[in-house]
Amino acid sequence: MTVEFRSLPRKTWQTFASIKTGVVLLILVVIFSAAGTIVLQRPITEPDDMQSAYSAQALRILDATGLTDVFHASWFIALMFLVSISIIAASIERFPNAWRYFSRPYKYAEEGFRRSLHPQKQVTIADEESGLVAAERALHSFGLRPERVVREDHFSIFAERSRISEMGVYIVHASLLLIFCGGIVDGIWGWRGSLNLNEGETSSAVEMRNGAAKALPFSIRCDSTGQENYKDGSPKKWWSKLAVVQDGRDVQKKEIVVNDPLVYAGVRFYQSSFGSNGKVDQLLLEATPVTGSGEKREIAFALNDTAPLDADTTVRFAEFIPDFAVRDGQVYRRSNQLGNPAALLVVSAKSSGQTFNVWLPPMNGVGDNAKAPFQFEPKDLKLGHFTGLQVSHEPGQWAVWGGVLLMGVGLTFVFYVVHVRFWAVPVRDPKTGKFALWIGGSANRNRDAFEQRFNDLVAKVETELKSIHKTSSSEQVETAAGR
Amino acid sequence: MARAKAAQQQPAATGMTLIVLVGLAIAFLLFMAFLNVVKSGSLLNETNLLYAALIFYAGAGALYLGFGVTGTESYVKFASLATWLGLLANTGAVAHRWYESGHPPFASVYEMLLSFVWTLAALTLIAEKKYGVKVIGTVTMPVAIVGVVLMQLLRTDVHPLVPALQSTWLHVHVTLAMLAYAACALSFALAMMFLIQDKMKTETFLAVTSAFTAAIYLGTLTRFEKWGGLNLVAWNAEEKSEVFLSKGVRLFVTIPDLGWLMLLALIVVTSPLAFFAISRWKKDESFLAMANRAVFVSILVQVLALVMFLTDARGGLYRSLDAEGQFSTSLAASPFILSGLVGGIFMSLLYLLLLWRREDLERLLPDADNLDRITYKTISIAFPLLTLMIAAGAYWANQTWGSYWSWDPKETWAAITWLVYAGYLHMRVTRGWRGRRAAYFAILGFGVVMFTFFGVTYLLPGLHAYA
Repeated sequence: MTVEFRSLPRKTWQTFASIKTGVVLLILVVIFSAAGTIVLQRPITEPDDMQSAYSAQALRILDATGLTDVFHASWFIALMFLVSISIIAASIERFPNAWRYFSRPYKYAEEGFRRSLHPQKQVTIADEESGLVAAERALHSFGLRPERVVREDHFSIFAERSRISEMGVYIVHASLLLIFCGGIVDGIWGWRGSLNLNEGETSSAVEMRNGAAKALPFSIRCDSTGQENYKDGSPKKWWSKLAVVQDGRDVQKKEIVVNDPLVYAGVRFYQSSFGSNGKVDQLLLEATPVTGSGEKREIAFALNDTAPLDADTTVRFAEFIPDFAVRDGQVYRRSNQLGNPAALLVVSAKSSGQTFNVWLPPMNGVGDNAKAPFQFEPKDLKLGHFTGLQVSHEPGQWAVWGGVLLMGVGLTFVFYVVHVRFWAVPVRDPKTGKFALWIGGSANRNRDAFEQRFNDLVAKVETELKSIHKTSSSEQVETAAGR
Repeated sequence: MARAKAAQQQPAATGMTLIVLVGLAIAFLLFMAFLNVVKSGSLLNETNLLYAALIFYAGAGALYLGFGVTGTESYVKFASLATWLGLLANTGAVAHRWYESGHPPFASVYEMLLSFVWTLAALTLIAEKKYGVKVIGTVTMPVAIVGVVLMQLLRTDVHPLVPALQSTWLHVHVTLAMLAYAACALSFALAMMFLIQDKMKTETFLAVTSAFTAAIYLGTLTRFEKWGGLNLVAWNAEEKSEVFLSKGVRLFVTIPDLGWLMLLALIVVTSPLAFFAISRWKKDESFLAMANRAVFVSILVQVLALVMFLTDARGGLYRSLDAEGQFSTSLAASPFILSGLVGGIFMSLLYLLLLWRREDLERLLPDADNLDRITYKTISIAFPLLTLMIAAGAYWANQTWGSYWSWDPKETWAAITWLVYAGYLHMRVTRGWRGRRAAYFAILGFGVVMFTFFGVTYLLPGLHAYA
């Protein structure tokens, strides 16, 4: 019984570590995230659109299962969590072996290993030393650093390159976990919202995705904002001059554009939209008296301002409608988008106590345009603008970028760095008693290209052997002559 | 293509015949194009360059196909010459576009296709010269041709970049995407060749071809309208855009009788699969011969369906069920149906090529082990590129939208693609998946890539609206 108890966690662990579990989990992630792109998702899609797309019952089911907000559903997060565990378990399960392999390289080729290794070759040599020297020189010429491995009765040669490649897979898996960690940190502590600022306005309240308001520990002011257009009228650039205000002081100023946010205290402000706020900044008019010889005069005023027309008469800018419609003698506001603007001016004569409502543009059956003592002609209209900012706080993003870089490194090791090993062992044929140099090589990937390299190495060893043989035989001749 | 088919019927003809025919065809088309150029007065504009590229790619495709059929080595030389010339013209078109718009051509579906075709042609030449996979052009060139034809239908006017696209990361992201997708396309072609070399039964290809084309017509028939019509999206020729009833709701026009034709085509393309099933069930080989004949018939019907679709969609005004009056449509409004129809014909032709010339193909292709290895190598290039593409996209999104990952459909599908290839690598390395299963995986992966590239753009709404 105790054995079973002890083995249950172990079994669970091994289940997680198995590649089968990993693949099943990956397939689940694929299926559910694909579902999340096909089913309309909640925060992005308007509730009305959701209702028109699905029947009430279908929508209830989708909502209950979380399919309308897959990527924030608890079961999806749980699934990602399981994937993480699976990656960790698989890595830990396999890591000790790989680490042993990495930290204690296999330097001496045992007999059994020699028998099964491919590629390998034997080159006849005169004696052990000349074979070893030839192998060393050949390996040197290949840019490797061969070392002599000492055994009880003989030496052998070992050389390798890029052992780190064996760790590539673990680096990639670790980087993936790092990215997940960043994502989790952002999921818990990060937030996103938006903030619309009129020119000159200061605010510290960010509207969150769910409609709640979040107060920032500092406030942000929009000094000015604008749009530049291409010749064809499509927007080229949106910009806003922002200032961060803390304790009544401007601590940071920046002109932001799309793709270039302002960052303060870990909070980022992005330019996301720009528009007219439907409010008028300044209206420029030309006023002409209907009777008498009074002169034309230009008036510039903002909403609710009053300007004198002559000694007796004043005009007030009473109302501005960015997009108007007339029905039954009434003027309505159709939308807040600047489309079809109208202004209401109230002209008051002090002496008679009369007031006249003047609409610009004049409308049939509305207002007292005809009776008013002055005629007005609009010259220019300056509108107020707002800048639409996206605000986000993502404390985990540095883990994500770190993970991405690490993954780049890991993938390079996995795919493009080859761990190459060569062994050279002098052996004596038990029957003939002749010496031979056994040469073997291994590469952890791209084996066909490696085989060519191996053959080149063997050829190099052979030429080295010949040159050693030549010099040593000429030395022998010399010594013989010297005697 | 028609000339290549003519050559298929008489394989005994000497090697020169096809080259001369293709050469004459190219010369003729260039001459006709030249007349046009003289009329319009400018030689090196994008349309002409693209047209020249199309002609050369078509010539190369015919020659590659001829090589696949007859195994005449000299075809390949001329085919790669034509590919080189096509690539040259294509480069010119890319450069022209770049110069005119002031940004690299990555900002719309049209520009992406322009770059994609360029990459595909370049990779074809690399695969041929470096790895000796000479038949690869048989698959990639028709894809390039379809790409160029599609481009003619999509909007071509130079659009200035909207604010969100004005970033260096756009170029990094899209270049990586193009490279990665082209590498995926190559691995797909190689996996298909592997299956041929791996002695997969010709009948299996028959069944798959039939099922694939049937799926295309089934998909088309989701637009079937009562009494034999076919619904197509209405097109506003002046604004070069689809007609919308309200936000996100497209206006459809009904083309009368085209639905019947599509239904007929569906029945005909499904018939080889039915014959195949019967031959399996009755264990009678003679039904297979009928199935093969049915494929031949299906090509004729498919060509008819394509021609009717082309003529109907290009001209005429049609009624709509949802609005008063008559509306026009355009091929550009139905890129999916068009590429589906062309793809179906192409696939059936490839099957005939396999059916008739299997032995020659097997002789010409590298052996199965080699193909398997090259497929793996291609994917081991594609996967890091995919990773970098996603990373660059995430970084850019963080700069623009304030979030590195928003689970936007395009992002999600890019991640799914990545996961599929990650699955392939894991199965290959830890489970030793080689050969067929790996090839199926590579084919699946490319299917997902295609969906990410086209499907998401047209079918699923999202932030990634530019392409």
